Order: sequence, then structure tokens, then C-alpha cells
Amino acid sequence: MYKIGIDLGSSYTKGVLIDDNHKIVDYYLTRTGFDFQKAANKIIDKFSPNNKILFPVYTCGYGRDELKIPFVANSEIMALSKAVFAIYKKKCSVIDIGGQDTKYIKINDLGQVDKFKMNRKCAAGTGSFIEELAFRMDVSPLEFSNYAKQATEEVRINSYCTVFAISEIIGMVKKGATLPNIIMGIYNSVIARSIELSPIEDFLVLTGGIPANHSFMIKLFQKKFVNCESPENSQFLAAWGCVLLNS
Amino acid sequence: MSNEKNGIIKLQSVDFLRKTMGDYFNRLKDATETKNKKIAWCTSVGPAELLYSMGFEVYFPENHGAMIGASKMADKYIPSAVALGYSPDICSYLTSDIGAFLQNETPLQKSGFKSVPKPDVLVYNTNQCHEVGDWFSFYARHFNVPIFGINTPLWINELTPSIVNSVVSQFKNLVPELEKVTGQKFNIEKFRETVALSHDGCVLWRKVLETAIHKPSPINFFDATIHMGPIVVMRGTQYAVDYYKVLLAELQDRIKNGISAVPSEKLRIYWDGMPLWYKLSSMAKLFSNLDTCIVASTYCNSWIFDDLNPEDPFGSSALAYCKLFIVRSDAEKQKVLEKLMVDFSIDGIIYHDAKTCGRNSNNRFGLPTRLNNQNNIPYLEINGDLCDSRCYSEEQSIIAIETFVKQLLSRK
Repeated sequence: MYKIGIDLGSSYTKGVLIDDNHKIVDYYLTRTGFDFQKAANKIIDKFSPNNKILFPVYTCGYGRDELKIPFVANSEIMALSKAVFAIYKKKCSVIDIGGQDTKYIKINDLGQVDKFKMNRKCAAGTGSFIEELAFRMDVSPLEFSNYAKQATEEVRINSYCTVFAISEIIGMVKKGATLPNIIMGIYNSVIARSIELSPIEDFLVLTGGIPANHSFMIKLFQKKFVNCESPENSQFLAAWGCVLLNS
Repeated sequence: MSNEKNGIIKLQSVDFLRKTMGDYFNRLKDATETKNKKIAWCTSVGPAELLYSMGFEVYFPENHGAMIGASKMADKYIPSAVALGYSPDICSYLTSDIGAFLQNETPLQKSGFKSVPKPDVLVYNTNQCHEVGDWFSFYARHFNVPIFGINTPLWINELTPSIVNSVVSQFKNLVPELEKVTGQKFNIEKFRETVALSHDGCVLWRKVLETAIHKPSPINFFDATIHMGPIVVMRGTQYAVDYYKVLLAELQDRIKNGISAVPSEKLRIYWDGMPLWYKLSSMAKLFSNLDTCIVASTYCNSWIFDDLNPEDPFGSSALAYCKLFIVRSDAEKQKVLEKLMVDFSIDGIIYHDAKTCGRNSNNRFGLPTRLNNQNNIPYLEINGDLCDSRCYSEEQSIIAIETFVKQLLSRK
């Protein structure tokens, strides 16, 4: 029998298939779109043909309460914390960068959430910031890391606002800034917004879709914080944590 | 008939509250129509006692701003004020109130007003912020009526005699100007009576709020923001005293009979900052469903002026209005908060960072971290605004609040 954890996020829905030993045996990602149930169905349809699924499913994220099938809703922050502690088993700070939210979580020695903080009502420092700039520059976000590796100098993007960041970038292009240097500036802007959520004093874990898809950003974090890791497939951790919280 | 709706048990005093507030607005309407009394506009923590003692009917634009916020109309009105040059970053009470005026609309039209009552004089106190001066100046220009202000210094750390004496002088300087408006001589005995009534009303209001010390609490923040109306607009009158006697009796009965504001209170929260007026009902339901009671708040506590003393009406008025939480330094605010956390057995604090009200957002200069280092009570910051709902991300805030509740429960 298998359980399913689903993180119905603002941009993407992440699903995991969990075995009796609480291990992830499969995972699947799809765009959330406008219909949370439809997104969840895609996850279930992916897993169910070959596996006996035990309902309810365990959910978190913006669509956690919106399914028409049996479900148990969870806080994504509690779920993510559970998953991170299951991996590292020690106190740590987590920075989770998703499509719409950036979160800071402080986990104590017992695996409890001591403190958490979310970004303000602003896209700066989130995945939406990167996606919008990528769209305006006509570059796939998935190519960002490859470009950033080629950067020769850091271009500083100061704007808090996604729209004004575009204006700022246009100004840089006029002055001859290269694409790799601009993308390096975008990465550093996201990092700056995320680390201003709280002082980072201990082991730092990076999670969410942005670190998972922007490997060079992880390297930039590691330049600032020596004691920093990002687990594999980190955008699926909250979905896994939903199941762990209920096991 | 059941008094419970969505897990929220309505206070029976609400009918008397409606009558008390209705009568207040009727007195204002009567003064507007018959001109039998002069009308003063006053800031909510301004010299209401002095104005009532001199025979004015007193109208409070901030109360009007809150009504606009609660009626969810602010987003319609704010753009008109912005178009006139008032920034969307300044007080949204101000922008929604002026915007409504520009559109010739007011929630008071439901109570038979054609528009807000025309002032004969405007009196403000900068103890809460300086924006009230700019706000009232708009109306002073529009109506061509006199405007007077008490300029209280902001960020008072040690409340020294020189600060209080300066405010006493300003209170006294108001008297001859107000006499010119009323055409009546100031009567110190009448002022003493009004200050005594204000003191009595404030003491009752304190007792009302302190019923929440009881576990489970018979009242929550959302009740209090509604039932605070009389202490805001009728401070210094018998009407407020009469109302809070009734409300206090009901809350004491609730305690005796084991009736709580949140049916299954598991957590007790302190709310710092302004209410989100446009979300009172949905937030009350959210917290009730989470078995969480917001038992105390900076906002509702701000109308306790129990330093008022009829033996020294000017001195005690100045002292009371300079002691106000909002006008104090963060160090003084922290002392107040530390005590409230203990008195009300607080499990966690929610700081509402209101986009357009920096003075009432106490999370902006590191206070939450310092307080947490001192008492280890977890806290959450949410971003929003008092009236401008465009500054509030509801889904994100609900996730944060639900998580905060789980965080607190995990410590129990």
C-alpha cells in the first residue's frame, strides 16, 4: 500500500508516492493552473495504475483544502520542517524559495518549528520574480544557471519591484551589461531578499523549486554560508512531509 | 434563538451597543440639522473631554475611517484621495475618509445623514501621529473653519514634567479659542465632571478588557474592536459609562456560567497593531475554528485613560494623553507588552504590520526580537493594512496563521 503527499503550490503541484517505510518511491510535478483537483488528479493518475493507493491523500500548499477526494490538509511549513528534520536530524535554518512565497524556518534540536517568517506581499525574492524577468528577457529560466556560470562580474539589481527591476535591467543593457552578468545579478537579488528574512546562524538548508532548478544559485548561497546544503528534489519535501506528519 | 454563528457567540449587549451608537449619531444629526449645538471634529485620542465639557457634539473622523474599512468600501474611495495628491502610502483612514468625502458618500447615509456632519471647529492631537494634522487641515480648508492642535512629541521615553507641562499649556490655550466658537464661557466644574465621567468609563473599559484574563476568555479582540465604539466617541459622557456597566455585567455572567468567546479555547494570542477592518468577521471565524482566542491587544488597550483625575483636569488629561502606548518609545512599549503577556497568559503574539500606519505597527524597529529574547514567547508578523485591503494577501496570511497555531500547539 502506498500513500500520496501532494503540495498544491501557487505555480506547481508536487506529488510524491510513499511506501510503507515512509520512503519516496516516485514523484511527479505539474503546473497547478486554476483547478487544484485537476492538478491533484494528474498526480494520482500518474501513480495509481501500478500501485495500490491508500486514501486519504495528504496535502499542503495554497490548494490544500480544495480537493473533492478524501484528504488531510497540513501546513506546508510544518510539513517541510518535518521532512528536513527527517533528513538531517539536527537543528537548522531553512530557506524555501517557491513560486510565490519565500520562507525562513528555524528548526530546533527536537525538530520543532521555533520561528518562521514569510516574504512580504511582494514578488521580489520569489520564483515569480525570476520567471517574470526570464519572460521579459526571452530566456528560459531553466537556462539561468548555465548563463550565470559564465558571469564575469556581478551586476547589482537594487529594485524591490519586479516591474522596476525590468526597467533597471534595460538600463544595464544600454550600458553594455552581458546576459550572464545580469542573471548573476538576478540570482543575487533573490538571495538578498531571502536572507533578510532572518539572521542565519546555523546549518542552512535550501529547499523549493528555485534552488532545485537553479543549481548555480545554491553555489552562490554556499559562498555566503559555508554550512549550507540543498537536498535532492527539494521541491518535493513538503509533499513528503505531509505524509510524515500523519504517519 | 441561538446566539452562535460560525462558532462565534454573539454578545447580547450588542443590541444596547447599537442603540448607544445610534443615539450618538442621532445627536450629531440633530446638531447638524437644528444647529442647536456646535460640532467639533476630534482625533480619537484627542481632547474629547474638553470638547464635551464645552457643549460640543463631537465627531471622530477616525471612527468614520474604521466604518468605511469595516464596510469594505475603502478600496473604492482611496483612489479619489490619491488622485488629489494624497499618497497611497499614508494613513488609509485619511485617504478613505477624504476619498469618500470627495465622492459625496459616507456609511452614515444609512443612518439618515446627507453627508458627514459639518464641523464648526477641528481639534487634533499629534500624540498618535502627525498625519492627523494634514487630515484635518483638508477639512479646515474645505469648510473654512478654525483648526487647533495639541502638538505632543512622539517617541516619549521618560515622561518628564516638562513634556506634560507643555501639553497642559496647549490644553489651556485651546480654551479661549473654543470659547470663541461656542460663544460660551468655559466652566471648570463642567470640565471636572466630564473628566470624572471619562475616568469612570475608562476604568469600566479596562475591566471589560481584563475579563479576558480569565481562562477561557469571555471576550476576544474581534468583539472588543466593535464594543470599543462608546469609549472612542463618547468618552466623558454618561452614555459610555452606562454602556460599559451593561457589557461588563454580561462578561462577568459569562465567566460565572462558563461561556467563552471561542468555544474551545486552546491558545491565547496577543494582537499588536491595527485591526484589518475589512476582515474582522472572517478572521474571527478563522481563529475560532483554530480554537484560538485573541485575548488582548495594543489597539483596544489604547483607550484606557485611567490617569484622568477630576481634581486636576488639565494636568491629568495631559498626563493621560502623553502616556498613551502609541506615543511612547519602543523601550516603554516593551515594558507594557511584557506585563500584558504575563497578565493575560499569552501563548503567542501576532504583529500586524499595517502598510499605511507605521505608528501603530510595532514590529518595525526590532521590538518583536527583543521581546522574544526576553520572554521566549513566539511571534508572527503579518502584512496588511487597516483599511486598504489591496495591501493584504489573505491566502498567504491564513497559511501563516494556521502554521503559527500549530507551532504554538507543539509547545504546549
